[in-house]
Amino acid sequence: MNASNTRQGWLVPALIGLLVFAVLPAGLAAFDRGYFYQVANVAMIFVLLSASMHLVTGVAGLLHLGHAAFYGVGAYTAALLATKAGLGFTWTLPLSGLVAALVAFLVALPTMRLVSIYFAVATLAIGQMLYLVMLNWVEFTKGPNGIIVSKGLELFGFSLSGRLATYYTVAAVVMLCVVAISRLSHSYYGNALRSIREDDQCADAMGVRTVRLKMEAFTLSAFFAGVAGSLWAHMTGYISPGDFKFSESILILAMVVVGGLGSLPGAVIGALLLILLPEGLRGMGDFRNIMVGMVMFLSILFLPKGLLGEVSALRLVRQQLGAAWRRTDNGIGIGWR
Amino acid sequence: MIDPYYLQQLAIGLSLGMTYALMAIGFTLIFGVLNVVNFAHGEIYTLGAFAGLVLITASAPPVAAVVFAALAIGALAGFSLERLAFKPFRRFTDEASLKSRAMRESTLLSSLAVSIVVREALEIVFGSEMRSVPFEYLINTPVRVGPVILVTGDFIIFGVSAAMLIGLQYLLTRTRIGLGIRAVSNNPLGAKYVGIDTDRTIIMTFVVGSMMGAAAGILVGLYYGAIFPAMGFVPGIKAFVAMVMGGLSSIPGAVICALILGVSESMATTFVSSGWSDMVAYGFLILTLIFFPNGLFGAGRERV
Repeated sequence: MNASNTRQGWLVPALIGLLVFAVLPAGLAAFDRGYFYQVANVAMIFVLLSASMHLVTGVAGLLHLGHAAFYGVGAYTAALLATKAGLGFTWTLPLSGLVAALVAFLVALPTMRLVSIYFAVATLAIGQMLYLVMLNWVEFTKGPNGIIVSKGLELFGFSLSGRLATYYTVAAVVMLCVVAISRLSHSYYGNALRSIREDDQCADAMGVRTVRLKMEAFTLSAFFAGVAGSLWAHMTGYISPGDFKFSESILILAMVVVGGLGSLPGAVIGALLLILLPEGLRGMGDFRNIMVGMVMFLSILFLPKGLLGEVSALRLVRQQLGAAWRRTDNGIGIGWR
Repeated sequence: MIDPYYLQQLAIGLSLGMTYALMAIGFTLIFGVLNVVNFAHGEIYTLGAFAGLVLITASAPPVAAVVFAALAIGALAGFSLERLAFKPFRRFTDEASLKSRAMRESTLLSSLAVSIVVREALEIVFGSEMRSVPFEYLINTPVRVGPVILVTGDFIIFGVSAAMLIGLQYLLTRTRIGLGIRAVSNNPLGAKYVGIDTDRTIIMTFVVGSMMGAAAGILVGLYYGAIFPAMGFVPGIKAFVAMVMGGLSSIPGAVICALILGVSESMATTFVSSGWSDMVAYGFLILTLIFFPNGLFGAGRERV
């Protein structure tokens, strides 16, 4: 087997990189309106949230109805560390991810043995419990008044709070996390998670440690949600419990479902669609949330596999995103790279 | 002698639990048959309340007519909900897809989507703030019973939930429709083989369950005097908790657990601020799921 037999796509990653780090910022700088920057940053953060939800709901098949709460845990960790301990973004970014992951781990310990709908309802209850803590523990979280985060984005002392710098920071962090999620879900590890989704008893019998893997997927996805929360807290400078309520969890779930369960490109497309479409339809005002519900309903009804279904997404990723399979001498592709 | 304060809290808790029970009955009926959670049940409750409110503001009918309007809207909503969110996912009737997880979860998501659309549509039509019910329709004239004070609504809600329970038991055990519902609930495929029209039975279940949900909505609306588009969300979760605690397919179990839930919540407000009282329900849910996987009153069913 020689190098020429290993298909390594570089064109698509290069194009995506070019789009995110050159074309989009150039376009944003050309228009130079705060609103466009805001939309781009929010879309980026939701791409990360949707990708992290993809890991737990799409790949591992655990219907998660409390994802926004872990996003909220990350955001509150960042905000509280910034206001009470005076830490900058450099420290709050990893710490909020870790705190969200820790909370998720503790939550996962008792609930991970539940199946399908019972797990979904347990996550709903846990999401609501975390939301109630944010709302009611007024001495600690300032309750419904929210927290003003005065520290903007910075890395190791360099302030990155300009419009373009903020965009670049958010985009870089999000792209890094999405690449990490892509490596997790497009690998043997991802395949093990998929086997749990398809038939956990069978996977268990074949030696896949189902409970442990599910816990890992749940915790990892909470980590990425926490990172997204810290980006949100430092980017907007103000957080309140309303940003992390049940309907946000549903919005993130809708993104994954519309894009296609189990498909990472689909999750990204779904996030962009459900953030940019309502922004584009701003004139419709109150109808935005109805649009979200309608898009979700219609896509479940007419596109049960999502906009970019899992099978085609996997083929795309294998061929184009550097996760190609090796060819043996007789030309059969095997495994993941 | 028990402190009258606690007796009063107990009474408040029981009436709160009764309002949850009203909703849990319909919820459990639908879950028991289809084995899917109907996330739109809360919206049916809201629709029932709004149907009553619209009728009250349009003309001033007697309370019974208001309840009948809510029942009619509930039946209609249940029918359309089943057609919209559940029927399209029963295209395949072989055993594998009946047991398929993807199938069950797609109806979960579709009912969720329908519930979002309905709630947002209600917000556009009626505005998101609370609408108050005209004073003369409120069912909260105080009645003193020994050391505690109850309101007329407590008796009405108690009467209605008792009537619903008895009526439902009669329906389920004595009538043809009820036998069909129980057969489908037990084994959909087997029911089909012996000639039961499963499609019609499922519609009937939705209609009956949604009528109960809508009646619950208008009664609770008249009881608290506030009707708003998001009113169905919290009772929906409480009803779900009661259903899970009661063991999913047991309707009397769900009612008893709804009462336990209501009493615990009202007792909890003695010790913590009322904002935290919702925590009780979520805590109960998690504890039940972990320690009593079969519920407190239910028969076994695979869930772990």
